[in-house]
Amino acid sequence: MDTKQLEFEKTVNVFINSIEKYFNKLTDTPIQTHPPFIKQPDDLVLKECTGMIGISGSKMGLVYISGGMELFRDLILQYVGLEKPTTSDMLDMAGELSNVVAGNVRESYGREFMISIPIVFQGSPDKLKFPKDVPIYVIPFDWDGHEAYMVIGLK
Amino acid sequence: MKLLIVDDSSMMRTTIESHLNNFGFEIVGHAGNGREALELVTAKRPDFVTLDITMPEMDGIECLEEIMKIAPDTKVMIITALSDKYTGLEALKKGAREFLYKPVTPEQLKEGFDSMISHH
Repeated sequence: MDTKQLEFEKTVNVFINSIEKYFNKLTDTPIQTHPPFIKQPDDLVLKECTGMIGISGSKMGLVYISGGMELFRDLILQYVGLEKPTTSDMLDMAGELSNVVAGNVRESYGREFMISIPIVFQGSPDKLKFPKDVPIYVIPFDWDGHEAYMVIGLK
Repeated sequence: MKLLIVDDSSMMRTTIESHLNNFGFEIVGHAGNGREALELVTAKRPDFVTLDITMPEMDGIECLEEIMKIAPDTKVMIITALSDKYTGLEALKKGAREFLYKPVTPEQLKEGFDSMISHH
């Protein structure tokens, strides 16, 4: 197995463990992850609601988690107990999910793995700025019948 | 007992308030960053503060240092996603009384507050 493949698997596993832990701890329904793949920055898939975290320090890049409004509505219902969240609440939840998944990765990468405050957006921005020459890993997952993506571009 | 809730996520602030409902706290405010938190600590003098670390304007560690200067008896519980051990130790050294890693369950919050209140 070459170095790139090993790095790919290590990074993907660290983030999958982090997001699995989040849903296992806060909800009754585990997530199901699907085989990750590499994609080009200009060719990325985004859902309605996205939370994004900038990474600096020992690694540089971006991590984002993108899902439909229904995923965040149901997550809020199960964790927060709010029955009729607003769009702003669902975007906030997307930001908080991204924050926790990226922040928990420090358990593996250490305190030099610095995370930004979350940036949230609805729909697709004009362009996502990933560092140049960075492999972008897409990890599709399902939770409670909702399809979503975790996207990692790190170097 | 007065409680201030500080987190840049409005959903986390709502969650923390909801999960601590049975403690009978008087919620003296919510703050979305460290600067707002300091204003509320100065004005309202809460007994307890839940404090996130990664926030805009002023992060939780800097805010904690300032709270300890303004009101050193305030019992601060850090609730953060930063799960490395160094961050927890740094916060405890700077005066935090409890430290919880996100994602945080209602049970963890209640246990953390039971522990802080028993030492109040």
